Amino acid sequence: MRYPAPWQTIGRHALLPEAGHDDIARLDIVAQLNAHVAQRLGPAVREAWERRGRNLWRMRHGREPIDRREVAVAMEAEPAWQTYSLVRRNTMEIRQQAGRDLVGRQASALRERARELNAGARTLRLDPDFRPPRYVSAVDQHLMRGGYTREQLEEDVSNPANYDAGLYATIGGSGGPWSNAAGRALVAWLQREQPNFLPRRILDLGCGIGHNTLPLRAAFPQAEIVAIDVAAPMLRYGHARARSLGITDIEFVQADAADTRLASNSFDLVFTTMVLHETSHQALPKIFAETHRLLRSGGLTLHLEQPTYRGLEPFEQFMRDWDGRFNNEPFWGALHESNLPAMLERAGFDKTRVFESRCVAPAWQWADQQEDFGRAPAWYAVGAWQAANGLAALR
Amino acid sequence: MNHSLPIDADPAQPGVTAAPGRRPDSPQFTADPMVDRLYGVTLALVAELAVTRTRLDTLERVLAGRGVVGEADIDQYRADELAQEQRSQLQAEYLARVLRALD
Repeated sequence: MRYPAPWQTIGRHALLPEAGHDDIARLDIVAQLNAHVAQRLGPAVREAWERRGRNLWRMRHGREPIDRREVAVAMEAEPAWQTYSLVRRNTMEIRQQAGRDLVGRQASALRERARELNAGARTLRLDPDFRPPRYVSAVDQHLMRGGYTREQLEEDVSNPANYDAGLYATIGGSGGPWSNAAGRALVAWLQREQPNFLPRRILDLGCGIGHNTLPLRAAFPQAEIVAIDVAAPMLRYGHARARSLGITDIEFVQADAADTRLASNSFDLVFTTMVLHETSHQALPKIFAETHRLLRSGGLTLHLEQPTYRGLEPFEQFMRDWDGRFNNEPFWGALHESNLPAMLERAGFDKTRVFESRCVAPAWQWADQQEDFGRAPAWYAVGAWQAANGLAALR
Repeated sequence: MNHSLPIDADPAQPGVTAAPGRRPDSPQFTADPMVDRLYGVTLALVAELAVTRTRLDTLERVLAGRGVVGEADIDQYRADELAQEQRSQLQAEYLARVLRALD
């Protein structure tokens, strides 16, 4: 069992909030609490299920539970589950309060730093008339007050800064110093599965602070990269963060993945990392249709997510559903129950070119490789190749 | 610590703290909301105690680094009779305060 990474090991860039001694200590104990939840309290829930919950259900109903909802009913009063949930939920609330406190007192300074780095750049394209869809603006994602879109002052970047600093503690550094394991996993997948695929234009849908976009720049130095998001604060922060890391040629554009207004047939790779669950029942088919429109012949769309619930035992679905139920992720459950390959087909992709796969990030030295219901550096991936004029795509 | 704003402050309105009370979407995990609240306070204390212990650890390391206090000085410290007497009284007063609710 490894320790979560100390917060002091986070990758440094100019937009990272300045954390004092106690801020760091608090983020460290948050990381330790999360590790405790995953490594000790989580397995105890499984044990309670196998020893008691499952049997009680069978006695009462004469059959196994069929899905996560029935497991939830069976486990509701189980002390191990209540304990797990109370500690996990309170740890997230503590983490968010610590993050608010950290960025709140330096919101102006962070804004000034972002302004300095973004000044004069034509690679940051925000639209003052753009209205983020309600399914994003109405949710305090991960219990962060105001979510991705809130601006408490003009050109505010405090929520993205909170997100950036706190994410590291939430995942215990398992994404590496830059929390970019999903982007690196996607790159590793491409390098292994499609070593001859060289996208010239790449689009990241729902880029957030751009942490998973940057690995694409490293892997494809010649490619043009566009990163879009609906949230202006995230884009400001992400653009400034990239610039402070020496990356000045990624375009950060405020746009809706369901209606990007970008030219048809203009990208070779259109991807998302941990974004689909943040969309909605109405938006997702439109987003997939948009990827089909945007992709050139022979291009690829790839979406990294937590595993689909289809084919998972009900107990594992139940455990993976925790974020959907208790971490302000309202579309989580519905997304993971969806048949995403079928949706890509309906979006226009040829059935024979739609696939499911798994992307794994090369392990960082302190990553805990043990599967812990969602925090290890491995992702389910669903994707599709754009046919070349109806003929088999060149691979 | 260098606070210029109270915790949970709104930077657009310095001095104004967030509305008190649980947020409306807080889930309840046990049958008794008071138990959930107790977990909340307890876990926050767990975190704050950890922060305090870390600060104490820092203090000892810094002092040791400057030769003011040796590393073993704290571990090998033994209270003299007067200190023992004073500590007994302090501990009793401390317990009286923290266990007041059990009286």
